[in-house]
Amino acid sequence: MDKPGIKRRDFVKMGLLTAAASALGTGVMKPVGLWAATPKIKGPIKVGYQAVLSGTLAGYGEFHKMGALMALEEINAAGGIAGNKLEMEVRDSTLAAPAALQNVRYFVDSWEADLLAGVDSSGQALAVAPVVGQLDRILMVTHAATEKLTEDEVFKKGIKQVFRICTPTYQDGNAAAFVAKDLPATTWATINPKYEYGFTTWNMFQDTLGKLKPGVKFVADSWAPFGTTDFRPHINTIMDAKPEGLYSVVWAGELITMMKQAQQAGMFDKIKYVLLPVGAAMDVLEGLGPEMPDNIWISGRYFFLYPDSPQNKEWVANFRKRWNHYPAYVSETAYSTMFAFKKAIEACGSKETAQLITALEGMELDSPAGKRVFRKEDHQAMYDVPWGLTATDPKYPFKIMGKQVVIPAKECFNRPPFEGDASKPPFKS
Amino acid sequence: MMESLVHVCLAGISAGMFIWLVASGLTLIFGVLRVLNFAHGSFYMLGAYLCYTCLKFLGIDFWLGVIVGPLAVCVVGYVMERYLLRQVYDLELPYQLLLTFAVVLIADELVKIIWGAGSIGSPTVPGLAGSVQIVGRNFPVYNIFIMVIGPLVALALWALLEKSWWGRIIRAAASDREMAAAIGVRVPSLYTGVFVFGAWLSALGGALAVPYVGLLTTGMGEAVIINAFVVVVIGGLGSLKGAFLGALFIGLLNSFGTRFIPALDMFLTFILMGVVLLWRPQGFFAGVDR
Repeated sequence: MDKPGIKRRDFVKMGLLTAAASALGTGVMKPVGLWAATPKIKGPIKVGYQAVLSGTLAGYGEFHKMGALMALEEINAAGGIAGNKLEMEVRDSTLAAPAALQNVRYFVDSWEADLLAGVDSSGQALAVAPVVGQLDRILMVTHAATEKLTEDEVFKKGIKQVFRICTPTYQDGNAAAFVAKDLPATTWATINPKYEYGFTTWNMFQDTLGKLKPGVKFVADSWAPFGTTDFRPHINTIMDAKPEGLYSVVWAGELITMMKQAQQAGMFDKIKYVLLPVGAAMDVLEGLGPEMPDNIWISGRYFFLYPDSPQNKEWVANFRKRWNHYPAYVSETAYSTMFAFKKAIEACGSKETAQLITALEGMELDSPAGKRVFRKEDHQAMYDVPWGLTATDPKYPFKIMGKQVVIPAKECFNRPPFEGDASKPPFKS
Repeated sequence: MMESLVHVCLAGISAGMFIWLVASGLTLIFGVLRVLNFAHGSFYMLGAYLCYTCLKFLGIDFWLGVIVGPLAVCVVGYVMERYLLRQVYDLELPYQLLLTFAVVLIADELVKIIWGAGSIGSPTVPGLAGSVQIVGRNFPVYNIFIMVIGPLVALALWALLEKSWWGRIIRAAASDREMAAAIGVRVPSLYTGVFVFGAWLSALGGALAVPYVGLLTTGMGEAVIINAFVVVVIGGLGSLKGAFLGALFIGLLNSFGTRFIPALDMFLTFILMGVVLLWRPQGFFAGVDR
């Protein structure tokens, strides 16, 4: 598609206008009217969103949709993006790479999407990245966590169209190791998913914890294939190895099943230190309810009680009013994605990919999860998500994070150039 | 080591008994109707959701849910056989597969509409939540219960098919449909009956799985049906004895495989299936109990 590039002079002009508008304040000069008069952005802003809407993880897709739709409604009620209506189509990505690719092609070639967002699995994200590069559309990843997406595809191969708004595997592997180093446990074991996500997080956890606390031993690993409903054989493997600590990124429904079966087997009487990097997901907490034991370390990509800011509280209240649910982490990442798009488009006054990349790189975004900064080099959103100990609170029918620890993203996220030990935590400065 | 071996065995047997409950209905339906029912997993799912609903919203006893849920699924089975399957008995196999697969998709969407797409953690069953110590490690009472139920169902099925008048009729229709019809067996009604009964067995498996798996999700049937298909193929299509032993074998193989040959756990079942298909394509017990 042949679209005229923006001229330097126009760009400067618009920059000045933006500056003037913000100096005058929203009360005096509404950006809506200002941008409505700008001929640069034609027609609605179309976002093609894909998430898993079928199979056992269909619940995740629904929560993506709730967040994205809520943002869409809010943005359009307030005049749209730069005076243009925001439009969205949501498609089922299943969890298979071919489906994700098909969706991307449909969105760009047939539906004429300006921007893309979503994607749940790491495998899908890695398959889709080169294609969005060729099709030259921004893709904001809201759930897939593999660090290879940002380290290899974006930083090393230079696919600048890909951004990620959720925390990556660093939160699951590195940050978990920072939590583990302060626990008395010296032997660790894992029941992890038998695919990329499970392998990479366990490696990262071992690597970083080994450096932070030399002498820790990793005594057993048991790998559960996707779709496992019976964790007893895995639980047996772990209990035979008698570790002091258990690490597991088993997630969603499978985590509910694993926790119940481990509880029945009396595993938590014998293993006192348990780290669940994605245990703070709402589907897990609500699904387990009072059956989630106390004093389990959990984290996620966002937890609705953090940060304790007015913006977050208001958002959670609005979300509950709109959907009668507590927001899942994918709801927050989907919601914030729309506002990231809005901010970037209004900052550069265009919906052209090249300019959006420049606008998004290094951009700060105030979101319910707190302040995010899109790191220029690898396009990873830097923001902090706490780790916390499960605790009972009479206000909620499920366990929440009691004692919380924040490992700042800048300390536990790998750093460019993503080569050798110097790029991995712990960092000297 | 003793502790480990005993628990690996226990885990394998209880898992096998679940597969058996689902596989029994599948193999029965195939043995009599010659239909490979993809939607069998959907009956399992519906059984689980309906049992959960009884438990959660109607506030009734879990055991009543185990009775009511599968009975409600019988109605679904009846409608499916009477109004859908009957149209394709005389057509080629792909039509049956397509039709039953369509039912899978419809059932998944219906469950999403009625119960929502999220996974639902099931409540604990009062009286069965506890565990007992077996050689130094806890084992859930509920799993022991399942290990008793499985063989009981097998025994009841055997008695029904081998010792009762109904069983004779069913076996007659299975071995020669025309002849059975000629001597006055109402084959269409018999087919409906067997299909509904098979659906009930699968739904019973689903209802009993509620506290065992601890989780309800759309698509939960698909996860189970794969194992059930493997078991039915290994045991011999249509053979109940084969399905029982096959399920036990697959359960134990998974449990031992995960513990002792973790690198191969996903493949062991399929390697076994491949070997059986090459070496004894009719399955271990095909024709034995006919």
